[in-house]
Amino acid sequence: MERSEHGNRSDTNTDYPFQLLCFLKLHTYTRVQVSIDICGVDHPSRKRRFEVVYNLLTTRYNSRIRVQTSADEVTRISSVVSLFPSAGRWEREVWDMFGVSSINHPDLRRISTDYGFEGHPLRKDLPLSGYVEVRYDDPEKRVVSEPIEMTQEFRYFDFASPWEQRSDG
Amino acid sequence: MNVTTTRKDLMIVNMGPHHPSMHGVLRLILTLDGEDVIDCEPILGYLHRGMEKIAENRTVIQYLPYVTRWDYLATMFTEAITVNGPEQLGNIQVPKRASYIRVIMLELSRIASHLLWLGPFMADIGAQTPFFYIFRERELVYDLFEAATGMRMMHNYFRIGGVAADLPHGWIDKCLDFCDYFLTAVSEYQKLITRNPIFLERVEGVGIIGGEEAINWGLSGPMLRASGIQWDLRKVDHYECYDELDWEIQWQKEGDSLARYLVRIGEMTESIKIIQQALEGIPGGPYENLEIRSFDREKDPEWNDFEYRFISKKPSPTFELPKQELYVRVEAPKGELGIFLIGDQSGFPWRWKIRPPGFINLQILPQLVKRMKLADIMTILGSIDIIMGEVDR
Repeated sequence: MERSEHGNRSDTNTDYPFQLLCFLKLHTYTRVQVSIDICGVDHPSRKRRFEVVYNLLTTRYNSRIRVQTSADEVTRISSVVSLFPSAGRWEREVWDMFGVSSINHPDLRRISTDYGFEGHPLRKDLPLSGYVEVRYDDPEKRVVSEPIEMTQEFRYFDFASPWEQRSDG
Repeated sequence: MNVTTTRKDLMIVNMGPHHPSMHGVLRLILTLDGEDVIDCEPILGYLHRGMEKIAENRTVIQYLPYVTRWDYLATMFTEAITVNGPEQLGNIQVPKRASYIRVIMLELSRIASHLLWLGPFMADIGAQTPFFYIFRERELVYDLFEAATGMRMMHNYFRIGGVAADLPHGWIDKCLDFCDYFLTAVSEYQKLITRNPIFLERVEGVGIIGGEEAINWGLSGPMLRASGIQWDLRKVDHYECYDELDWEIQWQKEGDSLARYLVRIGEMTESIKIIQQALEGIPGGPYENLEIRSFDREKDPEWNDFEYRFISKKPSPTFELPKQELYVRVEAPKGELGIFLIGDQSGFPWRWKIRPPGFINLQILPQLVKRMKLADIMTILGSIDIIMGEVDR
């Protein structure tokens, strides 16, 4: 548990998210009833490269807490849908975007990407433009996917700036 | 002849991604038994544009034009949250005048969003007239925005540490005139809609959400306040300068679509109150943080005598986000809009997660329509107030 300086939020790294969230939800002094956000983060340099972050809110005490779990490509996280019904879609999105699946999820399938999409977009190894592009093919009278054709080189903005970057940390 | 036969098979109807209401591209697969809805499954993803992945490759100032495309009806909120994140990470103070200007713009955007919620909501129910009336008012808001920011809808106005440019001369008087006019317009809507028996028949008792249920599902915004929970991030979080202005949270107890309608109408009136107070109390001074950028510390301290080093005025385009995580949120008209931001000591964020209110508020739809008739789906969907630009990102 660390306290970060941005308000009263705490971070925790754990292998047991379901139990921790269950405790947080039901205990009288924490009463975290709202799961605001479940988000995945990809740190490719780490061994367990994905991090699943649960942002939580308690309306009764007006405070927020952040719970983080790490996973790699094959680890499955236990689903918290039975505690927070709104987590259903967030976990689908974490699966779709990162490939971290959840055990006991009632309905785990892709949510934002296209119907036949392969891959998990928000991983750092998928490039920003993706691998396929779609276009409507008139002879076949339907939309087809083809390997991408970049007419312009990918612009990477890297600024070296003489201005002092002010950040008080 | 025995005519009565029980229909045993259910009908599966696709309310396809294109439909004439303004919600956007939302696909609903309905399972119907005659006119009763058995189940409804929303399918999203038709407007997914990869906003989160793009954010990992753009600096904050480059990303600002993208953010207005999430919720394209309440654009100031998306911009506000995009700059609030780096500001909180870098501990940058926003000058007073900029804070007041931001509040005025945010509340005008809230009015605009609620107006464009009201029009299609009434049009889905069947009343075509308010749809035209709201555009009349929304055009006035657009004119104000265009005078101040240069664009009617996709403003790109907020900057780290303030706003991009000051208000033009005479804008404040025009805005006060708009406020006076708008109060008469809201009372016109009230006269036309609120006690209309046809409207009440369609809306009262439809889509009831209890208070506990609303919290469990993670709803926010007017949906939560219509169910009796007085939770408004502007009061709870004390951000910008809302604390100095005198206003109240609008809330209702019943939790049906009528309550949500009343909350939003009430919020429009409260926003006018806030705008009027802010306009009258707006201080002078800088509109953008003037000291955020300075030259590199020079090794020769002789030139220290006068402050000529601090001459540049705007935040650096390559504002570096420190290596920290932050969840920042605003009270958007649709609910709690949040950004979970992980900075990496570089211009680009490492992770920019958007928490759209519509995404969460839409989750409750299958449960609400379970015992309703087919026509009630549009009422409920309209009262949830979603916009697919932010749901899909």
